[in-house]
Amino acid sequence: MLDIENLVRSGETQRMGDLEITPQTNVLQIQLRGHHAGLIWNRPRAVIIKRPDGEETILPVRDLTRMIIWGMLAGGILGAVLIGLTNRQK
Amino acid sequence: MTDELATTQPELAGYEAFQDTMEEFLAAGDVRVVYGEPIQHEDTVIIPTAEVLCVAGFGIGGGSGTDAQKNPEKPSQGSGSGGGGGGRILSRPVAIVVASPEGVRVEPVVDITKIALAGLTAVGFMVGMLFRMNRRQALFTQDE
Repeated sequence: MLDIENLVRSGETQRMGDLEITPQTNVLQIQLRGHHAGLIWNRPRAVIIKRPDGEETILPVRDLTRMIIWGMLAGGILGAVLIGLTNRQK
Repeated sequence: MTDELATTQPELAGYEAFQDTMEEFLAAGDVRVVYGEPIQHEDTVIIPTAEVLCVAGFGIGGGSGTDAQKNPEKPSQGSGSGGGGGGRILSRPVAIVVASPEGVRVEPVVDITKIALAGLTAVGFMVGMLFRMNRRQALFTQDE
């Protein structure tokens, strides 16, 4: 029924001075089999930096906004549970 | 005199249009959609990055038939086709990649409005829970 794929895609390497930068993305593809419908969630994953000496560094691209939002929501739920527990003890 | 699905020319054209749109939809999964064109400023190069969420759905159909009830010798024929679709693309900046002579770093893009809204939702949830608990406690004490 559903085709779900989670892929890591690498883009074209770009040369900036001595460095070679390769962008990577994380793609989540959901398609309804036999139908013309679907969802694509494409987000940056990391940047691979290659130095002239051959050393490779992977810089992850973190979504700080999402991390803060999830943290706040988790905190809200935890706070509500704690309020409920303390009220029950009273 | 068959009730088979007859594919007509306009239907084919519509189908091709849907195929083209579907191909464009699949292009949303490309790396170039997420990483923008590098912006050069003196010695520094900036690459903007964004998150893309694309949802789409299309449908097309058609059919034809004959009605031999009124006039069995010369039955009337008819056909029809139609289609429809919809979709949405959401895009949001995530970070910028800064390449300077000092090195390469990733600077996150923080959406204060979204964070403030999430914070208000979390606080509202907690305050609502507190009020509900207090009201329930007040009802219990009244009963006693």
